[in-house]
Amino acid sequence: MYFKKKAKPDIGLSDEELVLSLQQVMDADLFGLLYDRYTARVYQKCIGMVRDQDIAKDLTHDIFLKAFVNLKKFDHRSKFGTWLYRITYNYCLDHLRKGQRQRTSQVDEGMGLELEEEDRYEEELLSMRSDELPTVLEQLDPGDRAVLLMKYQDELSIKEMMEILELGESAVKMRIMRSRERALVKYRNLYPDLS
Amino acid sequence: MSENPFKIIRSTDLPPEHLKQDVVSSVKRIMLLMRFMQLFMSDYSMAVFEKFRLVGSGNGTSANRPDTDLKPDP
Repeated sequence: MYFKKKAKPDIGLSDEELVLSLQQVMDADLFGLLYDRYTARVYQKCIGMVRDQDIAKDLTHDIFLKAFVNLKKFDHRSKFGTWLYRITYNYCLDHLRKGQRQRTSQVDEGMGLELEEEDRYEEELLSMRSDELPTVLEQLDPGDRAVLLMKYQDELSIKEMMEILELGESAVKMRIMRSRERALVKYRNLYPDLS
Repeated sequence: MSENPFKIIRSTDLPPEHLKQDVVSSVKRIMLLMRFMQLFMSDYSMAVFEKFRLVGSGNGTSANRPDTDLKPDP
């Protein structure tokens, strides 16, 4: 049965066990345990994306509700954290794009990567000053910003990014490269003396 | 290479305390709503069943009727 009188929440359960229990019996207190485990990560990810605490709070609230409503659809093929990250990423992007109506450019999967050049771009990106980086990120398309935060802040693997972005390996690599290039162009325009 | 600037700017803020209460309250409201929807759905299907039965018995489609309904008129 979908709804049933609940047992006491067991804090010793793993994420997967908690989710399995919630898929069998919907329980607000049990869901509260999942909230406790992931709220800081979701909230901080939202702040990273929208750079506003009040909006981040509202987004976090909505993201957890969305996760609760869709919990039955979670198929355990990925980690729960990765699934929640995908919801967070998509929800923040939707929010940011509402007023912007900007489409991510089509990914060209056929383009090859010049590794040495790529290393140089990465080095330049990571040599940005931390007080300038937020301004650069703010001026980027939300999709580019999200990709750079995944790669360089959360240090997600290509495989994790493939799951979150629902793209193939070469498309993910291409998106990282494109986002990095666009960030560097912004940086050079904003701070010509420093770059 | 200097420290990764992306790591430096990472937010360490925590969500406000009351947010958990807000989320759990909303979850409870959603559960209540889902329960009502389940009730409505079961009533709805019952209603459809009842309607079907009434229409079926009055329309003279005798193929599925029990034999007792097929007695010839005297």
